[in-house]
Amino acid sequence: MGEAEVFETVVKILTPHAKNQAALAGVGMDTNILDDLKVNSARLVDVVLAFEDAFDVEIADEEVDNVNTVGDCVRLVIAKAS
Amino acid sequence: MQLRFLDRLALLVQREVGRWLGPIWIPVGAALLRWRYGWRVVDARAARREFRRLRQESSAPLLVCANHLTMVDSFLIAVALASPWWYVAHFGALPWNTPERDNFSRTWWLRIGTYVMKCIPVERGGDRREVGRVFERFIWMLSRGDVGLIFPEGGRSRSGRVDVDASTYGVGRVVKALPGCRVLCVYLRGEGQNTFTDAPARGERFQVGFASLEPKTERGGMRGSLEISKQVLARLAALEKDWFDARQ
Repeated sequence: MGEAEVFETVVKILTPHAKNQAALAGVGMDTNILDDLKVNSARLVDVVLAFEDAFDVEIADEEVDNVNTVGDCVRLVIAKAS
Repeated sequence: MQLRFLDRLALLVQREVGRWLGPIWIPVGAALLRWRYGWRVVDARAARREFRRLRQESSAPLLVCANHLTMVDSFLIAVALASPWWYVAHFGALPWNTPERDNFSRTWWLRIGTYVMKCIPVERGGDRREVGRVFERFIWMLSRGDVGLIFPEGGRSRSGRVDVDASTYGVGRVVKALPGCRVLCVYLRGEGQNTFTDAPARGERFQVGFASLEPKTERGGMRGSLEISKQVLARLAALEKDWFDARQ
């Protein structure tokens, strides 16, 4: 799965959780999930579980600590899937 | 565990400062709750016995998990689990906790208070690396034999009842990182507490329920952490049901 495809799926998963739809319109690899998209931190678990299902990977709690931006998500998923 | 030397040192210094000042601030704090605000935990003997039993029976890590309705719950839970002088003599039993930084950093005396009271402030919704470091520090203190306190719902119950569907993983993360970790579920509620508030009403009387468990999961990753958190939340919900049934 290529980076563009992973990016697209990541954004699709984040979309229902994003409170800032304007930021979603211009979403990029550097977009911060909590600060820019305004995803509620309490919903992060749901987001991560959706990543696990969508990409068939298992993400450890500690690995989530390194995820702040959409790009972090994409790189984590690619690293786990490869 | 990859906790940095400076983090470990800072925690040990914090613990020692709190311990040496304990004979002053612990009884004063308990007296404030009792006489300034009139808050009283009634009939806490059984909970205190269970807490002491868990501390004495094994050196395995012990995590207290509780429902969360007010911003002073951690103090009230500490009072429910032991007497002030017992904490002075057994400072490791006084639970570490992770309050929201914004709530407890407004004034210098609150900052000092949270420091000596074994708090590791966390910025909820903040940088994930910082949140992760808070977890690492908390887990490290538990691995050394100190007790920790977590509110599994991740915040005060907005409905006033335990939210068994809360998607939080903190408890699971701590339990998974500490093999053999035991959990003491504590349900504490004021008799007049209908929903969440900043502080309980003056003169409030609190009733406490408790249950011990060793949550387990076969799953890895965040799914496993979530499963453990759900087990703890389910037990808290059962304690809540008992609490209300006893008052009907």
